[in-house]
Amino acid sequence: MNNKLIEAINISKIYGRGVDTSVTALDNVSLEIHEGEFIAIMGASGSGKSTLMNILGCLDKPTGGTLIQDNVEVSKLGDEELAAVRNKKIGFVFQSFNLLARTNALENVELPLLYSDRSNITDLAQKALDSVGLSDRMHHLPNELSGGQQQRVAIARALVNDPEIVFADEPTGNLDSRSGMEIMSLLQKLNAQGRTIVVVTHEKDIAQYAGRIIQITDGKITSDKKNINKISAEETMATMTETEAAHENR
Amino acid sequence: MWYKNIMNLLRTIKISRKQLSAHKVRTALALLGIVVGVSAVIIMISIGTGAQREVLSKIEEMGTNLIIVNAAEVQRSPGRMQARGTVTTLTVQDAEVVEREIPYVITAVPVQSRRMQVRSGNLTSSVLVVGTTPAFQDVRNFRVQAGSFFDEHDDIAMRRVAVIGAGVYRSLFGGQNMIGETIRIGNVPFEIIGVMESKGVDLDGVDQDDQIFIPIRTALRRVFNLSYINNIYVQAQHQNVMDVAAERIREILRERHRLIAQDRPDDFTIHPQLELLDAQRETTDTFTMLIGSIAGVSLFVGGIGILAIMLISVRERVNEIGLRMAVGARRKDVLTQFLLEASMLSLGGGIAGIVFGIAGSIVVGIATAWATSVSVYSVLLAFVFSVAIGLFFGVYPARKASLLDPIEALRSE
Repeated sequence: MNNKLIEAINISKIYGRGVDTSVTALDNVSLEIHEGEFIAIMGASGSGKSTLMNILGCLDKPTGGTLIQDNVEVSKLGDEELAAVRNKKIGFVFQSFNLLARTNALENVELPLLYSDRSNITDLAQKALDSVGLSDRMHHLPNELSGGQQQRVAIARALVNDPEIVFADEPTGNLDSRSGMEIMSLLQKLNAQGRTIVVVTHEKDIAQYAGRIIQITDGKITSDKKNINKISAEETMATMTETEAAHENR
Repeated sequence: MWYKNIMNLLRTIKISRKQLSAHKVRTALALLGIVVGVSAVIIMISIGTGAQREVLSKIEEMGTNLIIVNAAEVQRSPGRMQARGTVTTLTVQDAEVVEREIPYVITAVPVQSRRMQVRSGNLTSSVLVVGTTPAFQDVRNFRVQAGSFFDEHDDIAMRRVAVIGAGVYRSLFGGQNMIGETIRIGNVPFEIIGVMESKGVDLDGVDQDDQIFIPIRTALRRVFNLSYINNIYVQAQHQNVMDVAAERIREILRERHRLIAQDRPDDFTIHPQLELLDAQRETTDTFTMLIGSIAGVSLFVGGIGILAIMLISVRERVNEIGLRMAVGARRKDVLTQFLLEASMLSLGGGIAGIVFGIAGSIVVGIATAWATSVSVYSVLLAFVFSVAIGLFFGVYPARKASLLDPIEALRSE
């Protein structure tokens, strides 16, 4: 098995204090993430899947348990050190893209580098945009791009600092099915190149493109299996084209 | 490393500017306070500086080591309601004694003047006729531009020679050569031997070009028919001996006017030029305080504008702040960014204020007769103040931004 990137031991997250008012979002969750994996964390809304992603992504701190990343116990780090971990080792992709308006694709991708100690900022950003196939859209503003293209800019932004792991929170949620497939196909391609990817979703269909599916219900992992029926998003896209053609012929 | 920090700061500023310029009208309105405040201060200071410079240059023109002795106004008593003018005790001899007896005194120049009808050919004009001695030129720093001033021999011999002011020259002679021409003061004919340089209005509002200078003895005997003078201009050796000199002048005059024995009050007044300078300084201080308080109030109001716009900006950009934190911005990075934005905004207002202020000063200078002078100091002050205001009023919104919870912030729309 490949290198262990993240190890979560008995992670719990409880919001609020007191017996009546507190809500347990995560209840003694343990899991390991290895280099090169493509994981889908599945669950209904309110199941705790986003909380888990936030904690694994060092955006949030667990109330209990231990989180180890790269042999560092990140659950003990302070705000400032967590920011550095997010900057260097983690990339985020969000459902609503979260691009800065009035700021072109290139500058949006450069953003994480502004908080790093890297120099050749523009070069790195160009390469990242290149890797998502948007080198011809570098100077476009977000509102001049389609939803799929905007999400690809967001993926380039997540990749620009060469992180160990990319977390995508419902990356297809705001997209039509075709653009969504494009994004899944891109994520699969990146994974094939060795990038570790974690997708959080409530859609079974989307989870089918991952290599491992973790099911969360009421703050607990109810299933954690290798996905033996992993589908290629590219193939799905090909079928979609056929279906569309059929629709038009009808 | 520091180089990289600056580059990143510049990139941050570039992005910030785009976000801030999204609402131009709103931002411009919020900055109005700073713009008005800064421009008002610059205009006020430029008027103040101009006025001060004018007064100072007039004082310095006359010399800061000048002591003016004036004959006192006649005391009005119930029995002498008609009495006007000055007492008749100050004389040319007083001036001579002051010059001779007091070691601190370089010269003492007697002056007697009256407004009189002056005629040249068929043109008549009412002109201030000033009787004085040749040293007047040095004491008042007032020179001839053509011909020459009269000398001591002219005075002693009571010659009828006159030096005319530039204004008189223009009005009576229309710019024609007139050295050697005759001019009638009252009915007495005088030979014109010189023309004074143009000097403008003095501190008391007297047009110094609208004067004719004649020797004091000629003036007293042949023109005014008087034996007393109304002023003595005393030039002291140095600013430092002004007080001693003034005191000695007072002693000598009291003795000569026989005021000591009967213990009567002075029949003259003594004004060292320094007093004027002090008075001027006092006025300037008051003015500065006035401007200071106006500046304080308007910049405070301007600061509130910055505060409001930054609070709105932070609220609107919660999502951006969350994203920045997610990609690795530390709390202090967010704090720095919003402080920077606040000071950029208020600096923008400040620069607009400086531009309007300079333009306003020029307009005021043209529209009124006031000499305005935009001082570099006031521009720098405005510059520094506007940045400081931005930093001060930006702290609260910036802190608010930096304390946001990244997850909450990312979730907001």
